[in-house]
Amino acid sequence: MLTLRGITKRFGENVAVDDVTLELRGGEIVAIVGENGAGKTTLMRIAAGELAPDAGTITADDAIGFVHQHFLLVSDFTIAENLALQRAWSFASLRTLEDEAERIIAATGIDLHGPSRRVEELSVGEKSKLELIKAIAKKPRVLILDEPTSVLTPAESEELFAVMRRVASEGTAVVFISHKLPEVLAIADRIVVMRRGRIVLETKSMTADELANAMVDAPLPTSVAPAKNILAIVGVAGNGQSQLAERFRDEHPDAGLIPEDRTRDGIIAEMSIAENLALRSKTNADALIKLFSIKATSAKQKAGSLSGGNQQKVILARELSRKPGRILAAEPTRGLDIEATAFVHAQLRAAADAGASILLITSDLDEAFALADEIQVIYRGRLSERMPPAVAREKVGALMAGLP
Amino acid sequence: MKAVAAAIAAILLLSLSALAFGRSPVELLNILVTGSVGSRFAIEGTLLKSVPLLLTGLSVALAFRAGVWNIGGEGQFIVGAIVAIVASRYGVIASLAAAMLAGAVWASIATAMRLWRNAPEVLTTILLNFTAIHLLGWCVNGPLQERGAQYPQTDVAAVALPQAGDVHAGILIAVAASVAAWFLLYRTAEGLRLRATGFNARAAKWAGIDVDRQLVRAMAISGALAGLAGGIELLGVTHRLFERFAAGYGYSGIAVALLAQLHPLATIASAIFFGALATGAGELQRTADISSNVAIFGQAVVILVLILFGSWRARD
Repeated sequence: MLTLRGITKRFGENVAVDDVTLELRGGEIVAIVGENGAGKTTLMRIAAGELAPDAGTITADDAIGFVHQHFLLVSDFTIAENLALQRAWSFASLRTLEDEAERIIAATGIDLHGPSRRVEELSVGEKSKLELIKAIAKKPRVLILDEPTSVLTPAESEELFAVMRRVASEGTAVVFISHKLPEVLAIADRIVVMRRGRIVLETKSMTADELANAMVDAPLPTSVAPAKNILAIVGVAGNGQSQLAERFRDEHPDAGLIPEDRTRDGIIAEMSIAENLALRSKTNADALIKLFSIKATSAKQKAGSLSGGNQQKVILARELSRKPGRILAAEPTRGLDIEATAFVHAQLRAAADAGASILLITSDLDEAFALADEIQVIYRGRLSERMPPAVAREKVGALMAGLP
Repeated sequence: MKAVAAAIAAILLLSLSALAFGRSPVELLNILVTGSVGSRFAIEGTLLKSVPLLLTGLSVALAFRAGVWNIGGEGQFIVGAIVAIVASRYGVIASLAAAMLAGAVWASIATAMRLWRNAPEVLTTILLNFTAIHLLGWCVNGPLQERGAQYPQTDVAAVALPQAGDVHAGILIAVAASVAAWFLLYRTAEGLRLRATGFNARAAKWAGIDVDRQLVRAMAISGALAGLAGGIELLGVTHRLFERFAAGYGYSGIAVALLAQLHPLATIASAIFFGALATGAGELQRTADISSNVAIFGQAVVILVLILFGSWRARD
């Protein structure tokens, strides 16, 4: 189906992918796991022909479908119009486009109704379905999914897995990149672990602990009891979390603020680490880089060139080092690897222990239960009552789905 | 380096177009160089042209750095000069201070419209240019017209900047202004916040920066610099106002700032380059009968080349 041999890719001095050889066979589901910056996405973009490798060869069948981590949809266009963008140029009325869209969607077996709806009206889950439809409609021999479940509810994830299994059973090779070990173990026929640009392990079956240990160099701390002073707001993305976070920011401008989209709202990519750290208050950049173990060549390095985890550490350093009484942490570990996630959690715990009250907005239930001593569910802009974790465990699923 | 490449590309394109019109590029380049730096007279001419360009260039660089698209340098330049001539009876310092204040106020009209109704400053500042041009026309034909009312121009200003040869003291003010602008942008917390807002206003907001306040300040400082340029041009060079007083300095400031890649110190070199181009172009007109508009052509080429190289793109 697709064979990568001796693939190497450098970005400047950084070796993103280092002499990787990987073969994909039709009909199997392969999971690629690893920390942020391990080279997973780069490797897959090379496989899909989006990036040229510096060394190595690719032998590929023609059709490869790639569902990116970020949506590549025209939000002013309807579902039908977005699907029509894929086809060769021709005259067609809107009505025809919608009929055609319905045929395309039906052929993929994915449940997405109303092709005349504009993309900006869709929920995050529906958008990711549309991306999947776009990819599958091309009848690819290889289907690559980059962290497809990061914005989905558990039910939507199950739906996605069913589609993946069906596509694989029709002979397509399905590759998916993921951070979530339980789903990897549940669905993958083969697991490929990457670390620092290399494949360190390929296996058919293993336990979650073995897998986690293979991904990181250091052994992980096991989780501890929830901290006091942390209120978690959980919910499926797009239910008013962003508005809630912005209102909190405007009402408490002096709070420690960790925005949900770190590249857009958190750091200023064009500025150096030192400048980013100084935005709030006078700081000693070198000391903070050390204290928050930010991996950087110097304080003058542009913040935009850091990995996601290190960007988040810059934001934490800026926002938490001044010891604010209130903290807002919106999706503080989205897209982060296990090690960076543990670091962020430890920092939030420490701040809570020191007396800060923390509002944690997250769509990651594990995170909410690991950290918070109280939990609230947000659904369509409304907050449920506050619940202790033990009560929340029972009710959170139904509340997130909007059931009474 | 991109800036140097762009400047060289502009010269090359000018030479090529000379060739296309059947003129020898070598000869024309020769006139351009002698006419701009070939004699004491030429150098003084270049410096005189560089002073307003440096100040309007700084005005643009500072605003653009803060993400504020002030295209209204021309209008702020004019309004600064109008107020400067009125205030000139109170002395040079009062006159220039009034020019700065007037430029800042004129620019702040655009800020107010942006904050009140979210009107884009790119449009409002341009429209304010036309308003200022007509205001000037009315002034020199009406309330400020010279005694005797012979020509559409004002009387000579009550004071003038001190001069050495043809060069006036405004050059010192302009250089001091660029050092001050550099210090503000790169050595103060205020400058850090201005630049942060320019790069990414959303992130600036999340970092606790009052983004609206940065807009207000950047626009006011930018307007003050353009107003100062107008005041200095009045008290140092023209000494009176007439309809075509501004001569495009406000717009040329955009080219100056872009060639300097919005860096206040690099703006000095960039302003001298464009000042030399304009002065040399004047010589081309006199000795080779080529329109001095080639200087504007040169500016346009520099901007186009810079955009092609991608060193400057509009951010929204």
